Amino acid sequence: MTKSSGSMSSAAQPRPGRGGEARQGPGNLRSPLGRAIGAGCAKQGVQHWWTQRLSAVALVPLAIWFAVSMLSLPSHDYSTVSAWMAQGWTSVFLILFVLSAAWHSQLGVRVVVEDYVHDSGTKSLALALVTFFHVVVAVAGVFAILKVAFGGAA
Amino acid sequence: MADFRLPANSRIRKGVTHKAPEAAREVRAFRIYRFDPDSGENPRVDTFELEAGECGQMVLDALIRIKSTVDSSLAFRRSCREGICGSCAMNIDGLNRLACITSLHDLGREVHIYPLPHMPVVKDLVPDLTHFYAQYASVKPWLLAETPAPPDRERLQSKAEQEKIDRPAACILCACCSTSCPSYWWNSDRYLGPAALLAAYRWIIDSRDEASGQRLDALEDPFKLYRCHTIMNCTDVCPKDLNPAKAIAEIKKMLVERQS
Ligand code: SF4
Ligand code: SF4
Ligand code: FES
Repeated sequence: MTKSSGSMSSAAQPRPGRGGEARQGPGNLRSPLGRAIGAGCAKQGVQHWWTQRLSAVALVPLAIWFAVSMLSLPSHDYSTVSAWMAQGWTSVFLILFVLSAAWHSQLGVRVVVEDYVHDSGTKSLALALVTFFHVVVAVAGVFAILKVAFGGAA
Repeated sequence: MADFRLPANSRIRKGVTHKAPEAAREVRAFRIYRFDPDSGENPRVDTFELEAGECGQMVLDALIRIKSTVDSSLAFRRSCREGICGSCAMNIDGLNRLACITSLHDLGREVHIYPLPHMPVVKDLVPDLTHFYAQYASVKPWLLAETPAPPDRERLQSKAEQEKIDRPAACILCACCSTSCPSYWWNSDRYLGPAALLAAYRWIIDSRDEASGQRLDALEDPFKLYRCHTIMNCTDVCPKDLNPAKAIAEIKKMLVERQS
């Protein structure tokens, strides 16, 4: 095994223990600073972080409104709920609710994938699937609401 | 994927027990992580029993006692023994702290001592901090200014301006915070971690520095900065009572504010 004679000079050497080898595989002679800088700065992240907060704030009143409305409906059979959904403002709020929830969830699940999936191929694939999934859910949700709102029977 | 188990060569086996002398009245046990890179063997946990009265006041005193009386091969870093050099950071009873200012009186009969979590281990309690230091260097922790300093004196700061950087500048780079941060465990190859981000913040808000903008530019990255999920472990463990989590939140706020 590698002898460590001072951490700076031996930094490029593989070292056993606690994930050391996993992090700096053998044959990696890049300088520590080079490794810390890596591929540099992606110049993004603010938008993601801010929209995650905004959508969270939007979800608070929408979720409360949704819960209160559901609880105050006289019954939850199909005709009562669809009649409620078909009212103008109800549809609008429901669509906002579905879109904010899908948006917020997409942003959050994306972070989870980035946190835990480290292989870049698997990560790209997972992120693409996450995006597609949320788009499908959002479109299907909006479509269903509109269908009830405009079409009556579904 | 994230690692849910330690790599095979890092799994801990049972170690040896160094019994206290028969005559000992009150015994204290130190269960210490040992790793010898030359042996080719997995790490182990050795138990050192000491007469309680001979341990000294602080965890570091006990470690020095063990090294000088029981096993001279025990490796750990220390220098100032007063909480200012940051060398003796280690994981004591599950918390990252400085051995030299962690009083044995606050700990139980049995004390568990490990190196800082999730770092490559050089030997025993000595972690490899190369990457941690390189990340610190990568935020350019020095004054950047185009305006030359006045020829006859230093660059001045008002009292209020100095007070802003007073606490952040007190960081001793012990790495207790970064190595307690789950985000840093999973993504330290790209996430800068609380210590380096606190240093970046300290220079961003320094009234004499003229590169705040560039510094913010260099941090606006999903990994370098935004892996922080405000878990707050960093602030909980900092032995100097600093608040890296708040510094990171302030950086995020500045990045939003400069957009509109
Ligand atoms: S912020 Fe605190 S815990 Fe982190 S390196 Fe500095 S002194 Fe140590
Ligand atoms: S607040 Fe951020 S830096 Fe501190 S422990 Fe949590 S994720 Fe890590
Ligand atoms: S020996 Fe310097 S901080 Fe503990």
